[in-house]
Amino acid sequence: MSAKNKFNNKYSWIFMAALASALLIFGGLRDSGPRSQQDRIDAITMRLACPTCQGESVYVSRASAAEAIRAEVARQVGSGLRTDDETIAYIEQRFGSEVLLLPRSSGIDSLVWALPIAALICGAAALGVVFRKWRTADDGAASAEDSALVEAAMASKNVTDLDA
Amino acid sequence: MLSEKKAKPVAPIAATVVGIVLVCLLLVLVSAKPNPSDNAESPLLGQPAPAVVTTTLEDKPFDLARRKGSWVVFNFFNSTCVPCRAEHPQLLTFAQNQLSTDNPAEMYTVINDDDDSAVLAFFAENKGDWQKIRDNDGSIAVAFGVAKVPETWIIDPNGYVRLRVAGQLSDGLLDEQLSLLKVQFGS
Repeated sequence: MSAKNKFNNKYSWIFMAALASALLIFGGLRDSGPRSQQDRIDAITMRLACPTCQGESVYVSRASAAEAIRAEVARQVGSGLRTDDETIAYIEQRFGSEVLLLPRSSGIDSLVWALPIAALICGAAALGVVFRKWRTADDGAASAEDSALVEAAMASKNVTDLDA
Repeated sequence: MLSEKKAKPVAPIAATVVGIVLVCLLLVLVSAKPNPSDNAESPLLGQPAPAVVTTTLEDKPFDLARRKGSWVVFNFFNSTCVPCRAEHPQLLTFAQNQLSTDNPAEMYTVINDDDDSAVLAFFAENKGDWQKIRDNDGSIAVAFGVAKVPETWIIDPNGYVRLRVAGQLSDGLLDEQLSLLKVQFGS
């Protein structure tokens, strides 16, 4: 591969990575417009775990504790005094962080988010190092040992041809 | 002759890093403190009690803020719940014992997801002449983080939450805990 092609290849990868990151950030931050109160109640209750059930959100659970939480969320959304995050924080202050279906991004809970990303970066870096090493080791040039073997084989072949 | 590069030992380094991470996680697990007492944890302990404004079964207004100056005991109750029924004798004994103490605690049953008539019938049959307060919309239970009844809470005379007992009360637990709290926080 020519130096120019290598240069173009490298910058096209950087461009693709930057574009993918920008789209991810845009997708994550974009405002989807005004929501109804019911949309907010549904979104909040989907992020809360039913405190008396296994693996059910407050949104789907029919347990009385989940129904009481749904009613409280509806009251708070209806009053308009709290944002979605503040309403979730209110429930968390009462029931503890176990009630959160999405772990927090602070404290030891943040490891849940950080560890996979760190593992991905470390894995990609390790693969890069290994591939680079393979490329360096296999540069196409024959070693002196290989050359000696070939020369010996050729010499042997010439002797056989002459004998014939 | 080309010189051969000595390969770096990647596997031992990776194994060491993974080992260190596992040891750290193990340390976090081992250093986690168990709860040795009957008292349940709650983010509300040591915090001002949530506002409780409701009515009693006799349709009288109830406001927790107006109970300042007294120790208040809330027992979250449902007449169909087996542990709630089973702990009733302990509550009767506690209420009786409080009559002979200085500054007796005020006791309230908080009706959780139940009919007034069923609660009245239960208390008519099993006694207990303390006040029963309504929580028809479940807001008091949510404000205290009560997921399952029975739960018993103690609030000090300054309005701070001091104790949460999740589940059925054992013999003498409330008397013992309230005495300790009175020593610790003053009666």
